[in-house]
Amino acid sequence: MISVRGLHKSFGKQPLFRGIDLEITKGEVVACIGPSGSGKSTFLRCINGLEPFQQGEIVVGGVELHSLNREKPGRADREAIRKVRLKVGMVFQQFNLFPHMTVLDNIIEAPTRVLRLSRNDATQRAVGLLRRVNLERKIDSHPSELSGGEQQRVAIARALAMKPEAMLFDEPTSSLDPEMVGEVLSVIQALVEEGMTTLIATHEMDFAREVADRIVVFDQGEIVEAGTPEEIFRHPKKDRTLMFLRRVLRRNALPPG
Amino acid sequence: MIGSRGTGPAYLKYLLILPVIFLLLFLSSSSRSGSDAAAKVRERGTLLWGGDAEGGAPYVFPDPKNVDVLIGFEVELAGAIAKVMGVPARFVQNAWDSLIPALERGDFDLVINGIEITPERTAKVLFSRPYYVYTEQLVVRREEDGIRGLADLAGKRVGTLMGAVSQTMLQQAGGVDIRIYSGVVEPYEDLALGRLDAVFLDLPIAAYYARPNPLLKYAGPPAGEGYYGIAIRREDASLKEAVDGAIDRLLRSGELRRIYEKWGLWNEAQEKLFHPDRSPGAGASGRDARDAPLVTFFPALLKGAGITVLVSVVSMGLAVALGLLLCLLRHYSGGPLRIAASSYIEIFRGTPLLIQLYLLYYGLPNVGITLSPLLAAFLGLGMNYAAYEAELYRAGIEAIPKGQMEAALSLGMSRRLALRRIVLPQALRVAVPGVTNDFISLFKDSSLVSVIAMVELTKTYNILAATTLRFLELGLVAAFLYFAMSYPLSLMARRLEERLAGRTR
Ligand SMILES: Nc1ncnc2c1ncn2[C@@H]1O[C@H](COP(=O)(O)OP(=O)(O)OP(=O)(O)O)[C@@H](O)[C@H]1O
Ligand SMILES: [Mg+2]
Repeated sequence: MISVRGLHKSFGKQPLFRGIDLEITKGEVVACIGPSGSGKSTFLRCINGLEPFQQGEIVVGGVELHSLNREKPGRADREAIRKVRLKVGMVFQQFNLFPHMTVLDNIIEAPTRVLRLSRNDATQRAVGLLRRVNLERKIDSHPSELSGGEQQRVAIARALAMKPEAMLFDEPTSSLDPEMVGEVLSVIQALVEEGMTTLIATHEMDFAREVADRIVVFDQGEIVEAGTPEEIFRHPKKDRTLMFLRRVLRRNALPPG
Repeated sequence: MIGSRGTGPAYLKYLLILPVIFLLLFLSSSSRSGSDAAAKVRERGTLLWGGDAEGGAPYVFPDPKNVDVLIGFEVELAGAIAKVMGVPARFVQNAWDSLIPALERGDFDLVINGIEITPERTAKVLFSRPYYVYTEQLVVRREEDGIRGLADLAGKRVGTLMGAVSQTMLQQAGGVDIRIYSGVVEPYEDLALGRLDAVFLDLPIAAYYARPNPLLKYAGPPAGEGYYGIAIRREDASLKEAVDGAIDRLLRSGELRRIYEKWGLWNEAQEKLFHPDRSPGAGASGRDARDAPLVTFFPALLKGAGITVLVSVVSMGLAVALGLLLCLLRHYSGGPLRIAASSYIEIFRGTPLLIQLYLLYYGLPNVGITLSPLLAAFLGLGMNYAAYEAELYRAGIEAIPKGQMEAALSLGMSRRLALRRIVLPQALRVAVPGVTNDFISLFKDSSLVSVIAMVELTKTYNILAATTLRFLELGLVAAFLYFAMSYPLSLMARRLEERLAGRTR
């Protein structure tokens, strides 16, 4: 479903990725963990075409994103990026709801204007999604009238309204107050259980452990280690993984080491 | 932009200060009266004379061969008079239509600048004995056959000088579409371009500017004889005596005739200077206007205010739309279009509006584009303010977090659609306070279009004040009208800002 091969990416002269490979099959749930600044967000943004990259290949649902001429994408590249974006939905750490629109308009904007759905059909779809994230009653609110958790759930509904084949979550709960983290995670969990192909960057180790089929550990622009939650959390092979886990799981039971 | 970007309350303060300033000026000028003015001039060692050298040929103007030196028959006259008084003369520049108030304020000792002796002015200032007998000359385009004299002017567009006797004569002719200018070059320019049907001005002006122009010709004989006199403050009777004596000596010695002959201005009519007792017929009365109640001027002032509103609203509409286009081209297009938009914005912000207006109205005809005053006013103000609006929009766009565009793109929207639906609506809201503020500035800057023969509120005030010399009362009324229009505007702007601030995010 998503395949990344030999990804090279640098910011100006500052190299970040020096050849990253990752395959995600249909229905698989992959969690990216790793220290701050290790490149998790950038990785997700490359897959979604929000960041250009210098070398390598990203294929999403059969559509290829090529690297080299991406700084100034030509017509064919732009078309490919758009097709990829229609296949994968993205949810951001900062929600990024459109503040000048109601919840309903946030959700139906892209379906009506990009997919050319009728306003009626799009609204029906939106109501169904809002019911799923348990926010029907907020349909006419503006984003500024919602809590952070509610905003993030609307953002998820907005991405789902485009009927994507896969979802990218970039630290969906990192800007939330602790008491709102649960409500967002349970929405994601429900989605995963329905079989949505999912790539999620997160600092919620328990959650990653619980929902992910595979954990990928990033550090300084490299994939240090990848494996099942059991392998990564119980039997990490690399010292860097262990050090990272020690730091974030200080109060939890540490793997034997 | 020339005007300062004031807000409503600042403008209010300004209005309240105005009467105080006038009062101070009044007090300071009257406190100077009484003493021997002629003795003061000798004591100071220079005779200060006021005039307008801008388009001032053949009266007083910069020598084309050496623009630092002023020449003209009045320069020589002033020098000769000063010499008789035993002091050197020094010229003080002042706009022609406000020479009299500047004299009263004490900026110079006297005015020598083709000031016609009229009853309105005689009521305000002292006049020396006449130093020149002028006539008015009608000038038309070479191919014009229908206009032979004042009687043929009904319904015609005729240019003249603000506050000049020729203006009064045109008003009395009735039915003439009078176009009033502050300078003497521009009316002939507009006549040649076909924006006027005729120009009616003093013969010396026509002789210098119109006669050498192959596109123009005199229509009929000179009309309306009158006298030029030297204007002196009322309390300076001793100076008038000294000046009269000097003129008398120059007349008798033939010096005056020598000067006029040199400038091609001597004619038989000048013999009357030796017997100046009989007042010539021209310069008929504006006394009615001088004593009329203030209300009489309201229709004219309100009409001016209407033009001001029209010019402001249309220009602002243009500025808002063109500004948006410029902003989008500058930030979302590439290549030559982007460069063109950037250059436009920088050039229009980096040069004075006044010069842009002159170029548009008097410059473009040189390349075959002749705009009407109204169109030039719309374009001049609109194109200038568009550059500022573009910058406001840019600031608005930059204030919108990048995540907005990224979220829209990630939903499959094209850049263009995301811009139109997501970024711009938010950016424009951010720009609204600045735009309304600019509208108020533009509203006041609109007075600048008077330089291109648009008679809006400020110009109406200038004209009325120059003919009636009621600068204070009319000025207050005009200022009040501006305020009455701009204050509600700034209130509305503030309400709008509050509403926008209350909503979203
Ligand atoms: N636009 C940019 N320009 C230059 N450097 C950037 C840019 N965006 C990210 N970086 C750098 O790339 C590296 C990876 O950043 P990224 O945001 O992908 O890390 P992350 O793993 O998501 O971190 P966090 O957990 O804090 O979100 C960092 O060193 C960051 O400074
Ligand atoms: Mg990140």
